[in-house]
Amino acid sequence: MLRVSGLHARVEEQEILRGVNLEVRAGEVHAVMGPNGSGKSTLAQVLAGREDYEVTAGSIELDGEDLQEMAPEERAHAGLFLAFQYPVEIPGVGNSYFLKAAVNATRKARGEQELDAMDFLQLLRQRAKLVDVDEALLRRPVNEGFSGGEKKRNEILQMAVLEPRLAVLDETDSGLDIDALKTVAAGVNALRNGDRAFVVITHYQRLLNYIVPDHVHVLQGGRIVRSGGSELAHELEEKGYAGLNGDSAGA
Amino acid sequence: MTAVTPTPTAQYLDLFARRGERSGEAAPVRLRRRQAIERFEAAGFPGRGDEEWRQTNIAPLLRSAVTEASREEVGARQARRFLYQGCDRLVFVNGRFAVELSSIPKEIAVSSLADLEATGGAADAVAEHLGATVDGRASCSADAVVHPFAALNTGLFEDGAAIVIPAGAAVERPLQVLWLSAPAAGAAADSLEVSFPRLLVVAGENSQASIIETFVAVNGAAGGYFVCPAAEFVCRAGSVLHHTRLQADASDAFHLGFQHTELERSAVFDSSSLTFGGGLVRNDAVALLDGEGAHCTLDGLYVVAGSQFVDNHMRVEHRQPHTTSHQLYKGVLDDRARSVFNGRIYVHKAAQKTDAKQTNRNLLLSRSALANSNPQLEIFADDVRCTHGSTIGRLDEDALFYLRARGLPREQAYGMLVYAFARELVEKTSFEPLRQDLEGRLRASLNGGPGGGEAA
Repeated sequence: MLRVSGLHARVEEQEILRGVNLEVRAGEVHAVMGPNGSGKSTLAQVLAGREDYEVTAGSIELDGEDLQEMAPEERAHAGLFLAFQYPVEIPGVGNSYFLKAAVNATRKARGEQELDAMDFLQLLRQRAKLVDVDEALLRRPVNEGFSGGEKKRNEILQMAVLEPRLAVLDETDSGLDIDALKTVAAGVNALRNGDRAFVVITHYQRLLNYIVPDHVHVLQGGRIVRSGGSELAHELEEKGYAGLNGDSAGA
Repeated sequence: MTAVTPTPTAQYLDLFARRGERSGEAAPVRLRRRQAIERFEAAGFPGRGDEEWRQTNIAPLLRSAVTEASREEVGARQARRFLYQGCDRLVFVNGRFAVELSSIPKEIAVSSLADLEATGGAADAVAEHLGATVDGRASCSADAVVHPFAALNTGLFEDGAAIVIPAGAAVERPLQVLWLSAPAAGAAADSLEVSFPRLLVVAGENSQASIIETFVAVNGAAGGYFVCPAAEFVCRAGSVLHHTRLQADASDAFHLGFQHTELERSAVFDSSSLTFGGGLVRNDAVALLDGEGAHCTLDGLYVVAGSQFVDNHMRVEHRQPHTTSHQLYKGVLDDRARSVFNGRIYVHKAAQKTDAKQTNRNLLLSRSALANSNPQLEIFADDVRCTHGSTIGRLDEDALFYLRARGLPREQAYGMLVYAFARELVEKTSFEPLRQDLEGRLRASLNGGPGGGEAA
């Protein structure tokens, strides 16, 4: 489903990704772990199409289509979803209004009929329940004044409503207490199925106790330096990134 | 042979001379007219050296020859486009009352200034107030300045509306005053038709009313024109007056207006000024809080593009204790548009417990747009709460990316963010037809086209 080959990317003059290879098949959950500054968030932003990053080499394909040719909204229409590490506050735009606009922009782009207010509300309520989001959040402006946990839950709600093919979760666990973490993980697990894939980017192994990955990759110095099964996450927890062979931690 | 070009000042003095004496005008008004034109003659038009006009270049206006606005007829159908359902209305075409297009509410006394005898009931208020405040005491005691365009209006207005809301009346339906510009089709390209709309509103004690002023041009108005309006509001003790001023003149029109408000004890004046049109726009607003407990809100929005220039100049004077004032002005500027916000809060020594708040926020949508913001506080009392702040910024790129990453096309995301920035000012009114009109105008003026964020 997702194929990243030899991906190099830089921001301003600094090269951050230096040859990332990653292949994700439908139904799989991949965890990408790594120390601060290893390029985890850059990878997420490059996948979503952030223009501040320049891809200098390599390719990204989603279902055989070249993502680099696509604007961020076109990637979303193609089924890519990024749960932001830092969800943006947007004063003046209602949360549910925004979600309806997002759903219908996607449906329109795919040549599907747009949802009317009633149908959308029904969908929204059902998904809010699925990921355990208080309906009061839906009536507030997007992320404005939300607590850290509310912002992350709101990302998961957006994912549940938009039903992506591939969801990239960028440090969705950062800043969450254990209860919020469980809620977010339960939301993700509720959406797991054979057609959908996840790339879970995280610094800590803790989240992976609740979202059990099929594959774990270690990103260091802009490259994936090790890959393995879910046991790799536990090894990292014990030894730390410095305990890995090769590059030093904290690059 | 040398042709003598009249100076800009002489042109306007000539308009005054040609009009001559008006029959039936109350003696005090006649006197104030003459005094106003004398003051204008003595002061002339302001130059860039004049502190209050430093950032407003009126040279393009002064270069143009002016003629009195023509006597165009406007059909009911043309006017109806701009009228709100559920309102009473006073329609003026080129500054002259169009009685056949108007509907005058029974509970309010309304007079046409050109014909006080024939139209009813506000003649005494006109004699007492009209022009008495605008040119007289409309300034901080220390630095009385003649407002040249207010003086011009007082000297030259041909018609206008005087509205008296009786004491204790709670007027349910808003009253719309439509100022329609209809320049003659064959007008010379290098001359401006000028009109001087005049409004006087006296809100009686404990009365409540809502006034909507709309400045627009009939469809397809070609060539430049110049609107030079002046409005006076006298808010008696305990009155509540809502006021909306929508200016959507043609984009090459000149619009330089003056608004003056006096508030007595516990009176409330809540005013919004929305600027969409005009090429060279200057709005001056003065509010005098002259009674304990009086409150004044002066809010505004300007959404400009192309080479539009808009200058909002405000002065709020707190003269008595326990008075409050709020100002929130927001600007959206695209292309080469420029804006000036000049807000001055003046707290007199006697005005203890003043609570004043002033905010100006600007959103620049292009590299060439320019906003100037000058909030000023002058405080002579020692127990007050006054805050001011201004921001000039660009669209939040993080927010734009966030919306696009959720599937919203760039233009739609853009429109949604700009709408979100400005919406509190167009959604302030509880009068639905006005709100819808303002929303529509805001959306239409955004590059992103219809996109925005309807109620959450």
